[in-house]
Amino acid sequence: MRSATNRAVSRNPVVPGWMKPLPVVLTLALWETVTRLNLLPPYLLPSPEAVAQRLFQTAQSGLLFQHLAATLQEVLLGLALGLAAATGLGTLLAKSPVAEKLLSPYIVASQSIPTVAIAPLLVIWFGPGRLSKILISSLLVFFPVLVNTVVGIRSVPEDLHDLMRILKASPWQIFTRLELPAALPVYLGGVRVGATLSVIGAVVGEFVGADEGLGFLINVARGMYDTALVFAAVFVLIALALSLYGLVSLIERRVLSWQLN
Amino acid sequence: MKIQWTWFLLILVMILSSACSTAAGPAETQPAPEIEDVRLILPYRPDVQFAPFYVGMKDGIFKRSGINLLIEHTQETDAVTLVGAGEVPFAVVSGEQVLLARAQGLPVVYVTAWYQDYPVGIAAPAESGIEGPQDLEGKQVGIPVLSGASYVGYRALLYEESLDPDSIYLDTIGYHQVELLLEGIEDAVVIYSANEPLQLEMMGMPVNVIRVSDYVSLASNGLITSEAMIEERPDLVRAMAAAFVTSIKKSMADTTYAFSACMEYVDGLDENTSSIQEKILQESTDFWEGETIGMSDPEAWQNMQDVLLEMELLSEPLSLEEAYTNEFLP
Repeated sequence: MRSATNRAVSRNPVVPGWMKPLPVVLTLALWETVTRLNLLPPYLLPSPEAVAQRLFQTAQSGLLFQHLAATLQEVLLGLALGLAAATGLGTLLAKSPVAEKLLSPYIVASQSIPTVAIAPLLVIWFGPGRLSKILISSLLVFFPVLVNTVVGIRSVPEDLHDLMRILKASPWQIFTRLELPAALPVYLGGVRVGATLSVIGAVVGEFVGADEGLGFLINVARGMYDTALVFAAVFVLIALALSLYGLVSLIERRVLSWQLN
Repeated sequence: MKIQWTWFLLILVMILSSACSTAAGPAETQPAPEIEDVRLILPYRPDVQFAPFYVGMKDGIFKRSGINLLIEHTQETDAVTLVGAGEVPFAVVSGEQVLLARAQGLPVVYVTAWYQDYPVGIAAPAESGIEGPQDLEGKQVGIPVLSGASYVGYRALLYEESLDPDSIYLDTIGYHQVELLLEGIEDAVVIYSANEPLQLEMMGMPVNVIRVSDYVSLASNGLITSEAMIEERPDLVRAMAAAFVTSIKKSMADTTYAFSACMEYVDGLDENTSSIQEKILQESTDFWEGETIGMSDPEAWQNMQDVLLEMELLSEPLSLEEAYTNEFLP
């Protein structure tokens, strides 16, 4: 019978470093093979070289960074707005059962509205500028962070609450010294998800109406049948989302280092 | 008596034979064509502006050409890609899409012109003082997207009138031209001349419309197919073109009937919307009028290429003779 140590090792296998890029390499190899064999025309599937070339061209001309900067601004501001709203409301719902009973049905109902349906309305109400994109981005961030805030705060074991009360801690002390630190792992998990969703929100807004941003660039590329540029812009969006995810993960490791220790 | 009966019977047989022969039809009558399913992509969604297709289906015009028309809707660029890739035989798109697609290697060919005049225009409130292209300088103009017919038409107008694009503030607003002009956020908006101006007037804002077609002739909406279809199924291309032209003519001759055909295929046409939608259809037919329905104008195609080159959407001239043809017109 396998020991607990062996069972733990098999659940967390060590992956050699050289294997980690293997899925990407294999995908690229398959992609290259398909295009070299002309199995699909270039306007449907451009070659990796064509995509890399377009990426380089738009980077060199400054166009890529101009649109990336626009999307990044919308993403960061949308993320900040979504986090602030969700954290505040989530804390209220976690601490007040009455507020939760009153507001939860409406919050859940609001999340069932597809973003692509509401995006045009936001453009009409708030104009075609950056604000509507920031709002759309924040809407996508809101719900996962809200849910994780409520769950995180409520996940604190009751005996720790009892201990704080025995030590005559004030409600503010209980919140800042116990509930907030204890909720962080779950809360930051929601922030990680929200960070990637914020990118989607910004792009959806740009698809509806924009004159800058990676979503706008994709629209223009589609209009020109420049599939290689579409691919290039999509890869930049993937890199953006992964970067944000990685940044939140890094913050998570730093902030939660006490827990890991 | 026997001889009289014989003659009577002989004449009777001759009459009956003649009647049977007439019922069978003349010997040279062609059998009805076998009807095949043919997919056609129209842009965006069902709309009264696609009336010729609805008339053609309702009246059996396509079926008499051997076509059971199956209409689908998608984005214009996707329609071109699907035709170029051989997934769908036909689509209706604007002329500039053909040149932009061919520049990227998509083998699409424009085979029947539908709109003889480019339908794009710029609308501004009647009291704004914006009546012509020169009045746009220094103004904020809303445009749905920086691609497609709207953008090409807008830039063609500026090019024709020697206006500097940088002298006008262009705002990308999605398909919200009506709302944003009504709210006063934009000084003017790029629109389809047969559509948004009527909606704006219905909402209480009379507008001036600067029509691109008053200044320059451009290749506009029409039927496209692929080079492979032309090579492998010229009969079908010819049949489709003929049925389309007949349907256009019938729709133009009686827009009331054309609108009634739309009621069967366009959702949302009710007593609240019918009036304005019927007017949109009537306005649209103005853009279909030309010397020969279906015929592409070489000058319009040359103008279109010149505009695309000026906009740097084309890096070099294309062979226009390969981009469009009048060969399949009836």
